[in-house]
Amino acid sequence: MSIVIKQREPSRLPSKADAEFDRISNLPGHVIDQILSRLPIRDAVRSSVLSRKWRYKWATIPCLVFDNHCFNFSSQDQSFIKNKLVNIIDHVLLLHNGPIHKFKLSHRDLLGVTDIDRWILCISRSSIKEVVLEIWKGQRYKPPSCLFNCQNLIHLELFNCLLKPPLMFKGFKNLKSLDLQHITITQDVFEKLISSCPSLERLTLMNFTGVTHLIIDAPNLQFFDIGGIFEDVSFLNTVHLSLISIGLYVNIDNEENGAQDNSSKLLRFFVNLPHIRRLEIQSYFLKYLAMGYVPSRLPNLCVDLNHLSIRIDFDDLEENTAALCLLRSCPNLQELEMLARPEEQSSMERSTNFWEDDHWSSLFAHLRLVKVSGISGVKSEMDFIKFLLSNSPVLEQLTVKPASQEGEWELMKELLRFRRASIYAEVIYLDP
Amino acid sequence: MSEVDMAVIKPEIMKSYIWLQTVDGSIQQVEQEIAMFCPMICHEVIQKGMGSSKNYAISLPQQVNPAMLSLILDYCRFHQVPGRSNKERKSFDEKFIRMDTKRLCELTSAADSLQLKPLVDLTSRALARIIEGKAPEEIREIFHLPDDLTEEEKLEPLKNATDDPRIRLLNRLYAKKRKELKEREKLKNVEVDEELVDDRSVDDLLSFINGDDGDSKGIKTSKSKKKNRRRKDLLKSTSAHEATKNHNKESNGLNSVCRSAEVGQILPGVGATTNLQDVEDDIFPNKNEFDDGDIDDEIDPTLKEKIDREVEDFARRLNSDWPERMQEILSLGQEKKPVHLSLNGKGS
Repeated sequence: MSIVIKQREPSRLPSKADAEFDRISNLPGHVIDQILSRLPIRDAVRSSVLSRKWRYKWATIPCLVFDNHCFNFSSQDQSFIKNKLVNIIDHVLLLHNGPIHKFKLSHRDLLGVTDIDRWILCISRSSIKEVVLEIWKGQRYKPPSCLFNCQNLIHLELFNCLLKPPLMFKGFKNLKSLDLQHITITQDVFEKLISSCPSLERLTLMNFTGVTHLIIDAPNLQFFDIGGIFEDVSFLNTVHLSLISIGLYVNIDNEENGAQDNSSKLLRFFVNLPHIRRLEIQSYFLKYLAMGYVPSRLPNLCVDLNHLSIRIDFDDLEENTAALCLLRSCPNLQELEMLARPEEQSSMERSTNFWEDDHWSSLFAHLRLVKVSGISGVKSEMDFIKFLLSNSPVLEQLTVKPASQEGEWELMKELLRFRRASIYAEVIYLDP
Repeated sequence: MSEVDMAVIKPEIMKSYIWLQTVDGSIQQVEQEIAMFCPMICHEVIQKGMGSSKNYAISLPQQVNPAMLSLILDYCRFHQVPGRSNKERKSFDEKFIRMDTKRLCELTSAADSLQLKPLVDLTSRALARIIEGKAPEEIREIFHLPDDLTEEEKLEPLKNATDDPRIRLLNRLYAKKRKELKEREKLKNVEVDEELVDDRSVDDLLSFINGDDGDSKGIKTSKSKKKNRRRKDLLKSTSAHEATKNHNKESNGLNSVCRSAEVGQILPGVGATTNLQDVEDDIFPNKNEFDDGDIDDEIDPTLKEKIDREVEDFARRLNSDWPERMQEILSLGQEKKPVHLSLNGKGS
């Protein structure tokens, strides 16, 4: 680039050809905000040196995202990076001018607690709507109480935090989406939090400590995604809940609980889910559902359920019973996914003829897509596939994916023989 | 035809059209469902009943010229069809957005004036993609932006929005620096043969600035030029002193943010003439108040010392993070007698 002696232009109006006209600087403020918001924060702030008009355009962008992509630090020195990061965030926040609607902080390097506290205080004064806070390293971070004063919050996402709202906390009236992962929260706080956010539509909860009984009282909840260790889950007042993905990460032992409680977990789970559309039962949750009494079919059919995914141990009688109950209870099922759970201890194969018996009075009238994966070709698994193929008249695709290459030839040979009720059915075999 | 006959005519023939007039005066008619995709046109039709005939054509905003209108209508024509899949729409958008930057900006402006938010989103994203990762010079070139900021202004973090003593102090310092540069420029033009090699290291320069002997002669000019202001300032001097510390942190800090941007400016700038612009009034509204001529000041020595220390302190903090900048400024003075910066035993 050649070095040019810059003289100040006498006139502001460009007397240049049409092609040289500056068309971007005079776009309306909200449009420029949109453009700058889509840039990494570094590029957005750098726009201040472009020209006189651009000096302060960056200062009104409504979303500030500080993550690993923002900064390129070649240094390996942790404290240097940290100081630089803190410095930059401090200055951006200080020089920012206008409402901040979205704030995201997610950097892999360890940040000081007081620094984050200070930033949250700053944004809490600014009618913030979305907060994403991901603390990659260190102990669970406890957000300061000012975070709980942000009544304009619509989306809150916390990773590796400890939630302890102040006593006067009355909930987030406008919160629609809550995502808590790797958090510590007590039972009361959790219940109070959920029930005091009346607008809550989406709830994600992963790896939590401190809550054992999940009591969900959320009248507008539509999406519920949970994975962790808990003893009980119950839905109160969740008429609109349509998407659930639930995983219990600990193997519960049925024999222990056998004597005490004969009530049906399965019945209790579905009693308040009239409109469920998609259900994913992961890890050991099916075992939980199989506890207590398992009816042959739910009293209220899940007529809206069209996608079901179950992680199951095909050798376990209780789980099979629970699965069968579910399958009987969703007459409009279109997509089914069965994932075989690899058992740690290779117990003596309890070869059952569960799926051979004729349980079936009705057919899978709407079932189109099925996926069965993680299987190893044992009898119970193959029985299930056989059962499925002969009872689904409109099946379009069955995808089978074994867990390993062991015995796959035998598996394929068997698969070939199975009768198919649907003339359109494709059986697709995927490599493990 | 009787009215009964009219009623029997098939509906396909009676497609309704909306009349639109662009800023150049030309009028065209557009199918209703396509035009109504734009909220602004929709509003005009429904709220004001416009657009039904040629005489009542809807006047489109001035940003919408016929070429832009045609593009926007293409966009609406595709997207108003309900049956399209997300994949199809995305694919159309990708192809649609391929145009030169000039048209992209015009299209953004036109779409915004018609309140067509999805199209504004699309074009903003495309413009952001163009800007992302590029150096300021490249961006200026692409968008034809004037490079009308002085070197100092690129480093200035704050707008003097309030009558704030700390900011005035900062401004004054900048004004001094600018004056120094100007004078150096004048001298440089006159005495072009003299070449003094300034091979002081950065550390030397820094320690010089920080004033080893407490008496930084380098800021002598600024001290000598202080007049009226300082009386008022002294009252606030203690608070200003504290405040300048904080203020300084800000200014230093932002420079680390902006520096990556302006380093690109400074390095090619070394050795080149700096901008001799006058200070902009909107940045320094108080400039008139402390217009420093060559008036000698009758300063009480103790006050003078106090001011000296303040300014020196301030300058030290201001400059302690900017070795490159100091080097540049000082190196510009290397080819002539250092009029203002007398070197205390360092260098000459």
